[in-house]
Amino acid sequence: MKEWKKILTILVAVTFLATLAACGGKPATETKKEGETKQPEKIRIALVLPSTVDDMAWSQSMYEGLKAVQEKLGKDKVEIAVSERLGDAVNAGAAIRQYASQGYDIVIAHGAQYQSVLREIAADFPKTTFAYGTGFQTAPNIFAYDPQAQEGGYLLGILAAKMTKSGIVGIVGPVESGDAIKYNNGFQQGVAAAKPDVKVRIAYTGSFNNIVGAGELAKVHMDAGADILTGSSQQAVGAIRAVAERSGKYWLSTDMDQSSIAPNTVLAAQVYHWEKVVEKMVSLRKQGVLGGQHLMLSFADGTLELKYNPKLADKIPQEAKDAVEKARQQIVSGSLKIELPKEQPKK
Amino acid sequence: MEDVISQGLIVGILATGIRLATPFLLAALGEMFTQRSGVYNLGIEGIMLMGAFMGFFVTWRTGNPYLGILVSLVVGALMGLLMGIVSITFKAEQGISGIGLYMFGWGLSGLLFRLYVGAITAIEGLRPLRIPGLSDIPYIGTIFFSHNWLVYLAYILVPITWIVLYKTTWGLKVRAVGTTPEAADTLGVSVDGIRYQCLILGSMLAGLAGAYLTVGQANMYADYITAGRGFIAVALVYFGRWSPLGILAGSLLFSMADSFQLWVQVLGISVPYELAVILPYVITIVALAVSFGRVWAPAALGRPYERGTRG
Repeated sequence: MKEWKKILTILVAVTFLATLAACGGKPATETKKEGETKQPEKIRIALVLPSTVDDMAWSQSMYEGLKAVQEKLGKDKVEIAVSERLGDAVNAGAAIRQYASQGYDIVIAHGAQYQSVLREIAADFPKTTFAYGTGFQTAPNIFAYDPQAQEGGYLLGILAAKMTKSGIVGIVGPVESGDAIKYNNGFQQGVAAAKPDVKVRIAYTGSFNNIVGAGELAKVHMDAGADILTGSSQQAVGAIRAVAERSGKYWLSTDMDQSSIAPNTVLAAQVYHWEKVVEKMVSLRKQGVLGGQHLMLSFADGTLELKYNPKLADKIPQEAKDAVEKARQQIVSGSLKIELPKEQPKK
Repeated sequence: MEDVISQGLIVGILATGIRLATPFLLAALGEMFTQRSGVYNLGIEGIMLMGAFMGFFVTWRTGNPYLGILVSLVVGALMGLLMGIVSITFKAEQGISGIGLYMFGWGLSGLLFRLYVGAITAIEGLRPLRIPGLSDIPYIGTIFFSHNWLVYLAYILVPITWIVLYKTTWGLKVRAVGTTPEAADTLGVSVDGIRYQCLILGSMLAGLAGAYLTVGQANMYADYITAGRGFIAVALVYFGRWSPLGILAGSLLFSMADSFQLWVQVLGISVPYELAVILPYVITIVALAVSFGRVWAPAALGRPYERGTRG
């Protein structure tokens, strides 16, 4: 009996540990470490994510960008390691430090919250390149990347203003910070520019990953009259699903094309092309530039893009598309600048 | 406020609040039994995550949400059994093993999702169940009778659990085991047996609460969909003083405050959103602080029972 108990205890403990190791660790390591025989031209990139590689938003868009770079430069040239669910910057710090000490060339901490922890670690590893965003403060070996989310927000705002029948547009916000502020602000400006009498209502869940909460917030928005909704971060999927359940209501996406979740609901999306940003960091590093640059993502350089959902293309009047296209060209040419309130993007 | 008539606003707040309280009610009523028998299960969150995933997964594969709910109950029972083996049979520290169960549930649900689903997918969940007559009453119908049947079940469980706990022999045994296990043991009540039953029952309800999130509320699954609701449910058991009515009051207070702040934000009443978001927590804490009487807890809560020692 004693023996049996002991074995069972060990079994339970092993199951616990195995699951933790499988999930808390690095489930998405793409290439195995090849011992100590390091080919000189191989670049090793580590990615630290606040949510998961399949969150259908912020984290997944970066992961897919990284994969695209690996695909392009060759699997033997790029090694990728990913750590997920590290939204807490302190826990993330441990992973970032570990990657740096394991000799990864580029460590990307994908979130604004990693800024200060990155500064601390980067000083100890001067030969390693670090990157984070949304942000703009750099160091000699830190890149800051910075999607101009307000540009796409502005364009989608025009579209929302043209599409709404109730005259009310709802934003399901996560936390009032970083990317969300820029996107929401641009969106409001876009709506105001297209139709000043359309109301934009903003509410926040206070979290990036409260999927059910985002869905409930979307329902409240719709109950209160909104018929076009939008919002950023990984919790947006919950809101999209809630919108999809009601007819005549539409969603506008950002971060990535989310139309696969609700093909009859997502009208258009602002898509981030992270692969171009990652590629730039890789090539800068090859030239000996380890950091210190503020890398913008914008419509002008093609790192941001507006995508319509082909399935719903006939729902959008040509006049709305023309207005969006006109603004897009103005943004690309630089004749239209979407200004953010003064205190942005400073924290 | 502009265009929204205040009646519509109040109906909206109440109807949303009733719905929001459901997962808390289900999980907290289950946890109440567990704690009444002297075990506290902090792994509720992990069980909810597994229930949420399995409910989603089976519904997605079979198209039958009822089957999904059934499987979530089974998974909840299994996780309760696991917790029982660790904390009742092996008498492990309950707080630690509960946290272990939480991490286990989160990890496993995420892993299974990645292996067997791969991408965020929508499902057809439960539809609102209209009750002839009741659903047509103005205002009342929208507030109370415009939901799916899991919502009704959660509220029906309040009187049922009250009767079970206070009016049945089994309920008496549960309370005895949770306060004076040595006395119950002397009278031939199997302390560990009752504790296993309560833990499994509580975990089944936690699994159901998880399934409600995916099958009854979000109609999808994504990583960590519970977002801390399991821990709030545990706190609501304390708030509700281990009684069904107290838990009902706590769940409603928290959810109504949550619903209220959502509506306040949406209607653009100028309150900093940070304040709005913390409102449910603040109100709950304040209510707990000013409510009369001292906190009563099952005397043997958290203490594994060993014959021949003073519990």
